[in-house]
Amino acid sequence: MSKSDVVVIGNGFAGLMSALVSADQGKKVTLLSYGAGTFPLNSGVIDVLGYDDSGKAVANPAQAVSAVADEHPYKKIGTQALEESVKFFQDVVAAEGFPYVGSLNEQQWLVTGVGTLKPSCLVPESMQGSKCFEASEIVLVGIKGLKDYYVDMVAENLAKELGNDKKYTVVTVDPHYQGARDLTTKDVAAWMDTEAGYADFVSQVKGNAGAGKVILVPQILGLKGNVVYKKIVAELGCPVVETTAMPPSVNGLRLRDVLLSALKKKGITVIENAKAEEAVIEGSKAVAIKAGGEVRLQTYNADKFIVATGGFYSGGITMRDFGEAKEVVFGLPVECDCVEERWVNKQLFSDKKQTFAKTGVRVDATLRGVNESGNVVLENVYVAGRNLSGYDFCFEHSGNGVALASAYKAAKA
Amino acid sequence: MVKDKATVVVVGGGATGVGILRDLSMRGIDALLIEKLDMVNGASSRYHGLLHSGARYAVRDQEAAKECIEENTILRRIGKSCVEAISGMFVQVEGDDPDFVDPWVKGCAESGIKTRELSKEEAWSLEPNLSRKLVRAFEVPDGAIDGFRMSWQNVQSAVRYGGRYKTYTELIKINIESGAVKSITVRDNVTKEEYDIECEILVNAAGPWAGKVAQMAGLDCSVSPSKGTLIAFNQRISNRVVNRLRKPSNGDIFVPHGSITILGTSSITIPDPEDTSTSWEEVEELMKTGEGVFEHLRDYRILRVFAGSRPLYVPKGADGGRNASRGFVTLDHEKEDGLKGMMTICGGKFTTYRLMAEKFCDVLAPKLGNTAKCRTAEEDLVPAVSEADKKAARQYFPSYGVNLAATRLGTEKFPEVVKTLKENPETREVLCECENVTMAEVMRIAQEPTSHSVADVRRRTRLGMGTCQGNYCAIRSAAIANKLFKDKLEGCGDSLSDMKNFLQARWKGITPVMAGKTLREAEMTRGMYEVLFNVNGGRR
Repeated sequence: MSKSDVVVIGNGFAGLMSALVSADQGKKVTLLSYGAGTFPLNSGVIDVLGYDDSGKAVANPAQAVSAVADEHPYKKIGTQALEESVKFFQDVVAAEGFPYVGSLNEQQWLVTGVGTLKPSCLVPESMQGSKCFEASEIVLVGIKGLKDYYVDMVAENLAKELGNDKKYTVVTVDPHYQGARDLTTKDVAAWMDTEAGYADFVSQVKGNAGAGKVILVPQILGLKGNVVYKKIVAELGCPVVETTAMPPSVNGLRLRDVLLSALKKKGITVIENAKAEEAVIEGSKAVAIKAGGEVRLQTYNADKFIVATGGFYSGGITMRDFGEAKEVVFGLPVECDCVEERWVNKQLFSDKKQTFAKTGVRVDATLRGVNESGNVVLENVYVAGRNLSGYDFCFEHSGNGVALASAYKAAKA
Repeated sequence: MVKDKATVVVVGGGATGVGILRDLSMRGIDALLIEKLDMVNGASSRYHGLLHSGARYAVRDQEAAKECIEENTILRRIGKSCVEAISGMFVQVEGDDPDFVDPWVKGCAESGIKTRELSKEEAWSLEPNLSRKLVRAFEVPDGAIDGFRMSWQNVQSAVRYGGRYKTYTELIKINIESGAVKSITVRDNVTKEEYDIECEILVNAAGPWAGKVAQMAGLDCSVSPSKGTLIAFNQRISNRVVNRLRKPSNGDIFVPHGSITILGTSSITIPDPEDTSTSWEEVEELMKTGEGVFEHLRDYRILRVFAGSRPLYVPKGADGGRNASRGFVTLDHEKEDGLKGMMTICGGKFTTYRLMAEKFCDVLAPKLGNTAKCRTAEEDLVPAVSEADKKAARQYFPSYGVNLAATRLGTEKFPEVVKTLKENPETREVLCECENVTMAEVMRIAQEPTSHSVADVRRRTRLGMGTCQGNYCAIRSAAIANKLFKDKLEGCGDSLSDMKNFLQARWKGITPVMAGKTLREAEMTRGMYEVLFNVNGGRR
């Protein structure tokens, strides 16, 4: 029976970052992994704060973060931890050869997979949609047989965002796929990783490249870091920009691979397929987690635990019936304003936050769960990521930002 | 301005209206149906899709029970591609009134409905999810029926006999001269154009809206809209229809359809038939009753909740709601009110729509000097797609999708879609995995003159109605269909707003059940469309 300094529960962005920061503190870390978090969904971009409470686009995330409501995780995390976490992240990915562009003082703009624009804070070099602003012509590349990327729709909506004084040219690349099933961006990215595929793609696009142009592509520039991106930008001689994408998101998977590689270098123990089933509590402290395994549960002891199991999507928070919200591993206190009149907005894409989306663990400024009188429930259990209450990451575009900053703060504590 | 004329104009594109359109057309009468929205948007699709055996009415209303079993038998024959020819069960659980059983068995026998008692073990082996508190179980010939498809197939059948129809065409005025209806004024709800249609007889088949139509002619027709709320679950909980064996009440019918199950219904009298809102309380009541039959009901993912208005006819001074008759009435306003050229049909239920049309047209046709006999029970709604066509299709389809597509598309469109799939391999992309709808099928239906939005395509193809509730197909169908809408009409074809509207309509059914596994789905929908695609736009 091994004992670690820190056990991190959760394999998403918050979990991986918690493990990395903890290891950076010289701690012996075990990560219990189950699933892949939302990496395949979230395009691997770090949104810090895209929109304020009134739905207005945020120009300077650092400023806007300092003005959030008291219930918001950023308020508890504080701007200093956020700034340090951004630097930590950028150092990690840069050291892995996969640098992210951006800072807390401005937004990066992404082109989405339907052609709208989206603010984000830290993005990989291949997704700098802002490069479209200066271009006189956008060359939109579609891929024959690729599912979930409809280049005409992207062109239609992008023209609405950027105006009609630019030229929009659609080019369809044929990957000469002979199989019978529908293609995903992952398939095309794997094709781009081959020499023949890359050469084929370049030969079909090259005639449209040139000064003043931007080549806009779905997330297909290879599965590994920025290898293909660097090569193709040099070869075409103009900016190449990837859009966000439907799952499976290639860039989410790239980021995951890069972080896992960093984890390995830090000597962090990753236990695969270890769903945390049970917590062992002594007094006001957690001493171990039992996780498994179809056959039997293993016990993982530690001095400190970080819960990064996610929200409703990942199953870290559940609510079988109205009002019965739970944090599934430790049973930490959950903030849940489950009243019919305000639980769900009648409009899906509405101008205010969804109450149900703010459901999560109630924490204090140390990111430990607290009861209604504000007293810490388990003194060595910290919470990071979408487990936290008080914010609607979809409305404000803040998911990975909160995950990063809270992971950093929880690990540093 | 008079722009069109027809001998008979039928108002209302629900089961009643399409049944009458088909019946009239087959008798050789020139008929035109108008519907203010898309076909089948009211109670004919907003119900549990039960093809009644009649057993539910066997105690209280044997006439209705007899009509049901006769029509059930006819629809199984003429509507093979819209009826799921399963059977049904009536189950009694602990706590249900044991004295209800004997009169029910007797009532079924007298109404001509075959019942067979099953041992508890047999019932559990047929339907393993049934409650352990089961007391008695009987088998009955219930079935499931797809309301959208059945209605469209009636329309297609009518068209073959010269019948016509106009969707998104709303009646706004009835023009009366010297005590007789001369014409109606309608508004095209897509182009907003208003024009007149001349007719000899106007048929009010507007279901729960029939009272409003009657008012336009200055008549009083008491229709009491009664709201029924239903829950759709993510999977087949049973393979048969399962009814509670007791006095008919809320939440005691489960109907499996394809890959889902529908639980219904409540019965609440409401003033406005447009009110299809649902509340936590209604959902909880249905769930609580439903748990009596399937103990683990709350562990299933709920897809959505929806509601529709039954058009109950209430004679003056009588009760509405659950106690109102499910029978129907034909009102000849010439006899009743001295207004020539207008008739109303009101009440009834989906299972007997054909019989209602027959009896109604038996009164209407002689007024036009037409003595032809009703033939709607003799001929299939649509001819079956040939085995040769299906065999050819298997080369291009995901093979499990062939039968689904063949029944959806019918003999005319199915071969066309197969041809597209053959000639243009890109159109083989499956846009809706839940219901197995290919790009070629979406393109074909989008080209129909009645399609203006993805929602219209959905009602014809079932796209977005399965387990993902549009999460994956919204972007795909909006992109593909809107390219074709653009050529049709100015102002149509904005893919982004169409996609948002489509997801919003799905959202309406999800909000009342935002708990359990539905929350997970909702977080994914928002993560994709609000975060990744930022569908509200950048707003820089």
